Amino acid sequence: MKATLAVINQMQADGVIGRYAIGGAVGATFYLEPSATLDIDVFVSFKHDQGSPLVTLAPVYEYLAARGCQAKGEYIIIEGWQVQFLPPGDALGEEALAQAIETQVDAVPTWVMTAEHLVALALQLGRPKDFIRILQFVEAGVLDADKLDQILRRHGLLAKWERFGDRFLRNL
Amino acid sequence: MSDWMRRVLEGKRETRKRLAALPFSEKLILLEKLRDRSLLIASTTLRQQQLHKG
Repeated sequence: MKATLAVINQMQADGVIGRYAIGGAVGATFYLEPSATLDIDVFVSFKHDQGSPLVTLAPVYEYLAARGCQAKGEYIIIEGWQVQFLPPGDALGEEALAQAIETQVDAVPTWVMTAEHLVALALQLGRPKDFIRILQFVEAGVLDADKLDQILRRHGLLAKWERFGDRFLRNL
Repeated sequence: MSDWMRRVLEGKRETRKRLAALPFSEKLILLEKLRDRSLLIASTTLRQQQLHKG
């Protein structure tokens, strides 16, 4: 994965993408025990075409295709890993990207979303596997409760969090 | 819950804690191994037969 991150960093240095942050299962692995995943979710600030509100992945695909990477469905294979590039989508995603923390993988710098943003995004998505991940975060005791509360409040997720708590956290 | 089961759960909790405390680089190496095993399992004939059975 180090080689994958190095390619993404180079793409950033070459101006194809702006700031990026790892989310999803790989992002969660920064805080938790590793759990099986086949892909890397990379949230990226994309450049918009001038005059168009639409986000385009074309420059990313063109850049990586020129370096021998192949597209596979919604993924691009970079150094053996399926990578999905995702625009932030909404204010929560934008904030998660902006507040991502820098870390290193064997001297290769990279950015990972905060634990609280990963939980808020998982809650927003609300699939069974997202709920499992939230429970892992809660059980691991790595969440800053005040920070999470502020994020949930800012992005209108408090009611959803309360429902999640009623359903899953009562017996913990 | 029996004592035996309690010890099993406590052991699992300790293992998860130990794995979570590893450096990110080491955890990513474990992720790669987990991914390789998942792909291997997904590619086996038995798995393919189960998928076709629906």
